Amino acid sequence: MLKWLLIVGTIYIAILFYLSWRSRQRNKSNEDFMMAGSNIGLILGFMTFAATLFSTFTLMGMPDFSRTHGIGAWIFLAFSDAGMVFLIVWFGFHLRKQVAQKGFKGMSGLLQSCYKNKWAGYIYFLAVFIFLVPYVAIQIRGVAIFLEQAFPAALPAWGWSLFIVVIMLLYSEFGGLKAIIYADFMQGTMLLIVVWVIAVTCLNYLGGWAEMFTQVEVANAALLSTPGPKGLLNAQFLIASFLAILMIPVTQPQLSTRLVIMKDFKAMRRMAVAVGTFAMLVIFPTIIIGMYGAIRYPDASVPEFLGQVLLRDQPAFIAAAAIIGLFAAAMSTSDSQLFAMGNELRGLLGHKGSDSLLPIRIAIISFAVAALLFSLFSSDQLVLLARISFAGTAMMGPLVILGILSKKPMGWFMVIVSGLGLAAFVLSQAGVLPGMVGPFRMDLFLMVALAIAGFGNYLVRK
Amino acid sequence: MKQKIYWRITVIAAVLLILLTFTPIVMPAGKIEPKLFSMPYTLWMSMLITIILVVLTYIGGRIYLKDEE
Repeated sequence: MLKWLLIVGTIYIAILFYLSWRSRQRNKSNEDFMMAGSNIGLILGFMTFAATLFSTFTLMGMPDFSRTHGIGAWIFLAFSDAGMVFLIVWFGFHLRKQVAQKGFKGMSGLLQSCYKNKWAGYIYFLAVFIFLVPYVAIQIRGVAIFLEQAFPAALPAWGWSLFIVVIMLLYSEFGGLKAIIYADFMQGTMLLIVVWVIAVTCLNYLGGWAEMFTQVEVANAALLSTPGPKGLLNAQFLIASFLAILMIPVTQPQLSTRLVIMKDFKAMRRMAVAVGTFAMLVIFPTIIIGMYGAIRYPDASVPEFLGQVLLRDQPAFIAAAAIIGLFAAAMSTSDSQLFAMGNELRGLLGHKGSDSLLPIRIAIISFAVAALLFSLFSSDQLVLLARISFAGTAMMGPLVILGILSKKPMGWFMVIVSGLGLAAFVLSQAGVLPGMVGPFRMDLFLMVALAIAGFGNYLVRK
Repeated sequence: MKQKIYWRITVIAAVLLILLTFTPIVMPAGKIEPKLFSMPYTLWMSMLITIILVVLTYIGGRIYLKDEE
C-alpha cells in the first residue's frame, strides 16, 4: 500500500501546487487574492461549497456515528443539509443585496456596517474564533491519529498534524481563495469517489443491499430506528442539530463568503440545489459503511474500526486513495475556515486590512498554529465536536439575520443578548452552567430564545 | 404577486415537512416496518423527505429569484 500511497500522494500534492501557482498568476489585486474575483460559476461554486461543508467528519465521523447510533444519522446530517440548502435561497438573496449596497470584507465588517456598531462585528468574530479553531483542530487531529495508527513506524500524530498544516498553508498563502476553490473542486470529487468505492466494497462483502439490513437487524435491531441503541438521536437532539446545521451558511464565514462570491443569483440558486444533491450522495454511502461496521466491528474502538474499514478491508490502491481522501477532506474545510477567519480580521481592521495583506497572512498562520496546538489536546469524538462547533456559531444566527434583513440599524439589544447567549453556551460546555434548562437542551433553549429576542427587536425597531 | 404566493406555498410546504420529520410519524421509536427496498421505515421516509426538500429548493429558487435574474 505504501507504494500506492506515495504515487497517489505525490500526484495529489503536485496538482495542488500547480493549481495554486495557476491561481497566483491570475490574481491581479488584494481583492482577487481574498475574494477570488467574486465571479464563481455553478460548477466551481457548488464544489467549493460542498468540499468546505463536508470535512473529515464526513468520511471518518459519519461511518462511526451511524455504526454507533444507526440510521437516524441520515436525519442528523443529510436531512439537516437539505433544510440548509433551502435556507440558502432566501438568506443568500438578502445577503447579496446587502453586500451590493455596503461591500464585503467579511461578515464581521458587514455586521458592523449593518448595525452601525463595532461590537456587532467583534462578538461575531469572537464566536467564529472560539468555535472554528477547535473545528479545524479536530479535523487535523482526526486524520493525524488515523495515520499514526496506520503507519506507526512513520510519524507521531503531531508530525502528521504539522505536515497537513504546512501543506495547507503553503498552497492557500501562495494562491489565495482561488487556489482554495480549485483545490476544493479536486478534493470534493475525490471525497465522493472514495466514499462510494469503499461503500460498494462493504456492500459486496455483506452480500448486497437487502442482506446488509437483514444482518444489521440480527446484530442490533435498534440501529434501524430512532433514537438508536444509545438513545442519542431523539427528537430534541435532532431538532437542535437541525437548527445548528441550518445556520451554518449564515454564521460560518467560509460558507457565507461562498454565497457572496457566486457570479449571480442564478448560479447561487443552482449551487444550492447541487449542494443538496451532493449531500445526499456523499452521506448515503457513509450509512452503508456504518452498517458494515455495526455487523463486522460492533465493539471495536473508533481508530480500530476506521483502520479496518478504510484500509485493511480495502485493496491497496483504494486504501491509498482513502488516505489521500482523508487529507483532502480535512484540508478542503480547514483551509477555507482559516482563510475566512483571515478575511474576517481584514474586515475588522478596515483600511489597514485593505492596504496590505501582510497582517492578514500573519493572522492566518497564527490561526493555523492555534488550531495545530489545540489538535494536540482535543478529543476524538469528531461528529459531536463538529456539532458543538455548529451549535456555537449558530448562537450568532439571529444577530446576523436581523442585521442582514433590516433596512436600518437595530441598536444594541441584539448585540448584548447574542454576547450573553454565546457566554452561556460556552459556560454550559465547560460544565459551569447546566446542560439542560428544565426539559430542554441548553443549545436548543438558547437558539429559540435568541430567535425570539431577534424577532422582538425587529418588531420594536422596524 | 402570484410569485409571492407560490413562494409562500413552497416555504409552508418545506416547514411542514421539516416539522413532520421530528414527529413519531417519521421517527416512531423502535419501529422498522414497513420496509421499502429493504430499508427500515425511518430511513426511507426521511430520505424521501430529504429529496422533496431539495426539489422544493429548486422550485423555491426559481420562484424567489426570478425577478433578480
